[in-house]
This record gives sequence, structure tokens and C-alpha cells, in this order.
Amino acid sequence: MIEEIKARLPGDGLIEVPFPQKGYHYALETGADKLPDLAALFDEKRFYLECLLCTDYGEYLELVYFFNKHLAPSRVKVTLKLDPAHPVAPSISAVYGSASWYEREIHEFYGVLFSGHPNMAYLFLHSGIDHYPLRKDRVPVPPEDLARLDSFNPCEQEDSFFINLGPQHPSTHGVLRVVLKMDGEYIEQAEPVLGYLHRMHEKMAENRTYQQFLPNTGRMDYLGAMSFNLGHVLAVERLCSIPVPERAQSVRIIATELNRISSHLLWLGAYLADLGALTPFLYVFDDREQILDVLEGVTGSRLTYCYFRFGGLYNDVDDPFIEGTKAFVKRMWSRFSLYEKLVTGNVIFRNRTRGIGTITQEQARKFGVAGPVLRSAGIASDMRKEEPYSGYDALDFTVPVGGRGDALDTYVVRLTEMENSLRIIEQALARLPGGPYMAEKVPKKLKPPPGDLYHVVETPRGELGIYIVSDESDRPLRMKWRVPSFSNLMVFPELSRGTLLADAVAILGSLDLVIPEIDR
Amino acid sequence: MLDLARANSLWPVTFGLACCAIEMMAAAMARFDLDRFGAGVFRASPRQADLMIVTGTVTKKMAPVLTTLYEQMPSPKWVIAMGNCAISGGPFVFEGQYNLVEGVDLLIPVDVYVPGCPPRPEALLEGFLKLEEKITGSRRFPRVESVW
Amino acid sequence: MPAMVNALLEWASSDAGKMIAGLVGVLAFVVVNALLLTWAERKIAGHMQRRIGPKEVGPFGLIQPIADALKLLGKEILTPARADKPLYYLAPTLIFVPVLVSFIVIPFDATLQVTDINVGILVILAFSSISILSILMAGWGSENKYSLIGAIRSIAQNIAYEIPLLLSLLPVIMLANSFSLKEIVEKQEGLWFVVVQPVAFVIYFIAAVAETNRTPFDLPEAESELVAGYHTEYSGMRFALFFLAEYTNMFIVSAIATTFFLGGYQGPVLPGILWFLLKSYALVFVIIWLRWTYPRVRFDQLLNVAWKGLIPLAFLNLLVTGGLLKL
Repeated sequence: MIEEIKARLPGDGLIEVPFPQKGYHYALETGADKLPDLAALFDEKRFYLECLLCTDYGEYLELVYFFNKHLAPSRVKVTLKLDPAHPVAPSISAVYGSASWYEREIHEFYGVLFSGHPNMAYLFLHSGIDHYPLRKDRVPVPPEDLARLDSFNPCEQEDSFFINLGPQHPSTHGVLRVVLKMDGEYIEQAEPVLGYLHRMHEKMAENRTYQQFLPNTGRMDYLGAMSFNLGHVLAVERLCSIPVPERAQSVRIIATELNRISSHLLWLGAYLADLGALTPFLYVFDDREQILDVLEGVTGSRLTYCYFRFGGLYNDVDDPFIEGTKAFVKRMWSRFSLYEKLVTGNVIFRNRTRGIGTITQEQARKFGVAGPVLRSAGIASDMRKEEPYSGYDALDFTVPVGGRGDALDTYVVRLTEMENSLRIIEQALARLPGGPYMAEKVPKKLKPPPGDLYHVVETPRGELGIYIVSDESDRPLRMKWRVPSFSNLMVFPELSRGTLLADAVAILGSLDLVIPEIDR
Repeated sequence: MLDLARANSLWPVTFGLACCAIEMMAAAMARFDLDRFGAGVFRASPRQADLMIVTGTVTKKMAPVLTTLYEQMPSPKWVIAMGNCAISGGPFVFEGQYNLVEGVDLLIPVDVYVPGCPPRPEALLEGFLKLEEKITGSRRFPRVESVW
Repeated sequence: MPAMVNALLEWASSDAGKMIAGLVGVLAFVVVNALLLTWAERKIAGHMQRRIGPKEVGPFGLIQPIADALKLLGKEILTPARADKPLYYLAPTLIFVPVLVSFIVIPFDATLQVTDINVGILVILAFSSISILSILMAGWGSENKYSLIGAIRSIAQNIAYEIPLLLSLLPVIMLANSFSLKEIVEKQEGLWFVVVQPVAFVIYFIAAVAETNRTPFDLPEAESELVAGYHTEYSGMRFALFFLAEYTNMFIVSAIATTFFLGGYQGPVLPGILWFLLKSYALVFVIIWLRWTYPRVRFDQLLNVAWKGLIPLAFLNLLVTGGLLKL
């Protein structure tokens, strides 16, 4: 398949690249005129657009596209150089739905104009901003672009009216605002408005050293903070070739899986609260408290962890942690029957979620959907299995898949994932090796070699991609976080068209969004 | 007497912005029950609430929404700023920052500040008790002095 | 002085006096009931959720509802600028009319009934439709899209569930051969009607929960979707009136269920009124229990349950009862 792509491309543009150092398999440099054909070619070969980002190198802007294939990983990095004074590129949002929002984001942060894009309004930033934030120099926004960016103004029409879902939610979604165009109780169009929690993480990454950025990773996704921590640490270790001792790897697995269980539990409680059942919310918080106690004993924080360091852990695990984890695992196995009876067997719950928000595999591919939502559509893609990291390849666990892609399937997939996590924790605890928990001779001032790296981990919400460009200083030149909630939210306008308002809330809940990681 | 009634029946409006919101929810849950003090009913509509707990970072895009909600609440109303972000911008203040309101007290008057990133649910409970003390003038439980 | 007292007593024992005394008693009962139910709801919810609920405010949190009420009284009264003033002001007061009228005909005991109208149940059913009107007024007058959607949902829901409500009460009326509530209770001397008409009891209960807008049928005030539904824009005492009406409604439907199916105030040993209150509050407890257990039913599923499920079933029940009575 990759041979076919090579054959269709002119010359020898496709270069093979060492995967362990770079995180992608092939690199290709292209020009603006050839990009739409390339995108169509990748679409034909059933690739999905993993990420689209832009880097400011000073003399030029570089657009980077990552294409990958589910279940047959062959990541291709396509680059496009742009002139910083007049950056224009063709839009591929007609081919890949996911490109639409990525291009909007790049437009408002870098000023790159995408020709052929249907709607270039502000996605993240507010209208008072007068420069392109992620450019290295302060480049002001020209007035014609300002008019284009500020063009989102829903106005009333005959027979339909606009309603805002948010940004203040009576549920736990966080600050997401969705503008719904309603016809009675039915939704004609849904347009999410983001950026209410834009905390400038990517700009901070360029201003902070790699160590100083560690606390930020926990705040990006506060429910799955361990996995974000893990992603950052693994990416930098891979970039600087720092070996990690086995004990640290096992403990990292245990901590991340505990975090995954607590994140899924909170999702369960919040989803049911959205649907109106307020009691399971309290039961899941009760279970979570046990996990939080165990993790607090060893990390010091309850929610936004910063436990991993480059080369190992912050401090070693002790007996209370191991005993506590064992007790928690034992208790959690018995709780599943409670959730089965209370929730899965509940006829009202099943009626509310069966057949709601069905995602087809084609939609999942076009929008780059990730995580349990992807698995519920039938694609058994889990980054812990496809690109194993930190010792996951030695463990034995399955990837749960749903049949239909509706909300009930995402629920069942997440419940099964919790059971899998318990099994993983049991295995990791059984084979916890002795030895050091921190690598020796990790330099205090980390100066990675120049180059770029794309690293992927599996967070509770899906695949997280971290792209680091290093220019040999102790701060990254560019750090891009490809977050799963962003691509999951992209499919929401498609799914909610023509549904009832109550269904839209059910669909939104089943996507398991955490807004700070979308807004970064 | 009216103050006593108000202090014992503070109804918060659900205004969770970021990470601190999860700790606020944890404070309302079974382990650190907030309903004991009468503050259990989180009203969704600001018109029926009298306490706003600002949990999380306030960005410039969110600021007008926050002030609108505050003005929709009927007086008497109180505000608790929970977490470092609401107090003074938190860990997101850096030179060249373009989207942060450094502290919610730049927008609305705040009664109690609860520091932490995120503060423990017990800290939020202490903030509640402090607010009750501010309203009524006397404290419900005696203040715990440091033991170490 | 004694002449005035005598005159007062004479007037009090007349019909008009009894009526006034009854009304005052009913009002007092409504207030006490609402206070009790707010406390009970939070306590029961707390215990079901493995926590305690209000505890600090007085022993066992019993003074909590009084604190809530005082606080709500002391709130600033806001009116949205664009609200339709007459509708907006009238809605909370109008929602009380059906409640009070229903209380007039409910027999608390053999002698404790404000007045026994011989078409008692028709009075209750007719006036309960007015509550829908007040919800619509609240929703429309608030000039708020969420309120309007909540009000519209509520109207459809209430219209749909009025019919099974009526149809499930008809077999009992046929069995007792009267519309008067007192006579219906008297007819259950040896055998409660729930034994003869279990299907009607279940249908009535479901329809009643839907009429009072409680979970699983609380779409009009669906918190996670519509902020707070039709009473979004109400604050302070006006909001308290909506709350009060909801809890009183809960008691009334339970009281009607008790009267029609569970024998009213009949029972050995204890005085009748105690039995009546016991049975009614047991049903109220079940309603509160349902709220904290089940998620919300979706709107079209709600209407489906009513039109395709409950109404045919109620009709069938009615036909069977009529047929059996004739034989």
C-alpha cells in the first residue's frame, strides 16, 4: 500500500525515516499545488488525518500534516513551506472533515489563509485580540482578516430560533458553548464555539523549559492527568534518548491505569447526571475517592498530578500504595455488578442511549475520531497495542469493540475498558520489579538534539499526539498537542443534525469531552 | 436572624470552569458532604441561587459571561473564588499572556478566597464556614489551629 | 365580652364558619407539608446517596426548610425587563388555585373534610388543568427560550397524561357508583379497591407522577438540558411558590391514590386521619424514591408511553371492569 503511494508520487519525494527516533515512518515535502491531490490520494487509501499543525521557523512557516492508518500504522508526515509575509495554502476540508477546524485554528494563531475553506471565523480566540499569538514576532491582524475572523453572528430567522447550550452548564461539561439552530424540538444545525478556557498552553510551552512545562500537562486534561504527564515525559525521553528503569515503567503503568479508571468513573457519573439520574454520580465519586487516596499517598495531589519525571518517577512507591491498590482492585470488581443492575439493565437508560449518535466507520475515519468512541464504531484501534510504550507490550489485555457506534456502545466499551484496566493493574502489580525508580545521570538542563518527534499515548479519551520541535535549546521551538476531545467534538455537528435536544445532550455526553484539553 | 437563615441555606449556582470544578463536585459528594450545611442544592439558574463559586481560570472570552451571570443573581449574593486561577491568574500568568483575566476580583467583588491548585474539598468546606462567619459573625465549628 | 365570644362560637359552628376554619386548616397544612417534604426529600436523597443530608441546621436538619424559606423571603425580587408583566406575575399565584381547591374535597377522616361535594373527583380533575395554564403563562411570560421550551414540553406531557389519569379512576367510580370522595372511601370498608383494580392503580400512579412533573418525567424542568425549564426566570418568593406547588401536588396525587385505591382513612385501632396520612406519605416516599433512582425519559418516548401504552391499557381495564360489573 505504501508502495502504491510511492508509485503515484513524482520522483522520490517519500523518504523513509527511523521510527524510534522520529515517531513517524515517512516524510514527504510537497508544494501548495500538489496538496489537494495528495489528500485525495490518502483518502482513497483510507488514511485518516491525524493532526495538522503549523510551526514558525522565523524565515518560513511550515504546515505539517500527519496521515496515519487505523490498525496498520504507517504515519506519513507531509510538510508544506509557506512564506511568512503572505502565507496561503489550499484547504483540504472538502476531503477530510477534521481539517476544517485545524485550519481555522492555524488561521487565527498564525495568520495562514486557507483558500477554499467555507468558514474562517474565530474558533478559540476572542474578538479583542489584535495579533496572531503563536507567531514568534508580534504580527498584527490586518483589517480584512479581522472582518473575516469576526464573522460568526447567528441571527434569527423565520421558523427557527437559536439556543445556546452553555457556556454555563448545569452539568460537568465545562465551558463549551454550542449554538443550536432549532426547529421546535429538533436541531437543524449545531455549531460549537470554543475558547472559553483557552489557557495558552502551547505558547507557554515555547516560554518554558521542558521541566517547567510538566505541571501544565496535568492541567490540560485534569481527569486523565497521568496520561498527559506520561505522554510528555515519554516524548522528551525519546527525544533525548533517556533510558527508564523497569520499576519506573511498571509503576507508570499502574498509576496511569488507575487514572484511567477514575476518569471513566467520572464520565459514567456525569453522563448519567446529564440523563437525569443523579444518584450514580455519588456512587462513582465514592469509588474515585479510594483511587484518589491511593494516588495521593504517593504523588501528593488528588487531581492534577505531576508525578513522572524525565527518567523515572518523582518518588518511589511504598507498601501503603501497593496494599491500597490491591484493596481497591478487589473492591472494584464487586462494584461492577452494582453498575450493571443500576444502569445497564435500566430500561429508561437503554432507551435513551440505544441508537443515539451512531457513528459509522467512514465518519470516524474522516473526522479522525479517537478513543472509546472510535472503538464503539467497530475499529479496534488502541495506541497501547499499536505503538506500545512503557512496557505495555509485555501485558496481556484485549481491546473492546462495539458493534454499532451508538451511545450505548460507548458506555459498554468504557465499562469493559475499566475491567481491562483492573486486569492490567493486577498483572503489573504481580510483576513489579525491584531496582531504581529513576534513571541515573539525567542532565539537569535538558537540551535535546535538534529535530522533531511525534509521540502517541492512549489517554482515557483517546489517542494523544505530542509533536515537539527542538532547536537544541532548553525550551522547545514548538510543542503541539493533538488532543482526542478536539477530534471527537468535530463529529458532533454531524451526529446531532435532526435529533431532539435531549438526544444532543446524550450524544455530547457519550463523546466524553474535557474542554480544557480542547481549548488548550 | 435573617442572616442566620441566609448563612444556613446558601444555594450555589453551578459555575464550574476548570479543574477546581471537579474538587467542588467532590466536596458536594458523599465523602465531604456539603449538604450538611444546607448548601447542597446546586441550582442551575442564577436567578435562584445566592452563591457563586468561581472555580477555575477566567479567560477574556469568558469574562462577559461571568459578569452577566453575576448580575442575574438577585442580592444578597456572595462569591467564593476557589483556586489559584480565580484568585490571581494561577499558574497561567506569564509574560506575553493574551487571554487571561488575572483574578476574578478584577470583574466582580469576592467575599472569600480559597487558595490551592486545586484546593482540597476540605479547604472549600473551610471557605464555606468562613463565609458563614462573614455573614453571621460567629463560627459554627471552632477553628483548628496547626498541629505541626 | 362573653356575648362577643358566644356570638363568635355560634358563627364558628355554622356552615360558613366551618368552611373558613377548614380553609385556614388547609392552608396551614399546605405550608407544613411543603416544609416537611423539602426536608424529607433532601434527607432521603442523602441517605440513598450514602451521605447524611442536612444535619447541622438544627437537630437532624429539621430547621433547614425554615432557613430556606426565610432566605427566599429575604431575596431581592427581580423581574426580567422584557417579561410580559401580567403573565409573569400571575403564574406563581395561579398555580395554587387547583391545589387549594383539591384540598377542599379530600376526606382526611370521616368527619374532617372541608366540604363533601357530590362530584368531588370531577372538581379535582377540572381544576388540575388550570395548573397547566399557569405553567404556560410562566413559560411565555418569562421571555426566555428555555422557559418556553420547558412550558411547551409540560403542556404536551400534561395533556397526554390527563387521559390515563381519568381513565384509571373511572373503574373505581363505577365500582363505588358515585363521584363523591367520601362515599368512595366508605365503599372500601371491607376490601380496598387496589386488590380489585391493580392495573388501574399502577396506571394512575404513573400518570400522577407525570402530572406532577417529577423524574423520570421531569422534562419541563430538565436541569441538564434546559437550565431550569419554566421557572428559570423566577427568583425569591415567586420561585418558592412554584416549589411549594410542586410538593403540594405530590401530596395531593398521593392523597387521591389513597382515597381511591388504598381505603382512605379506614383502618383498625389508630384514628382515621393517622391512617390517611400514613398511606399518603408512603406513596410520597415512593415518588421521592423514584426521582433519585431513574434517569429522565426522553420527550417522544414519554408521549409514546402515554399514547401507545397507558391509554389502550386503561381503556381495556375500563371495558373489562364494565363487563364484569354488568354480569
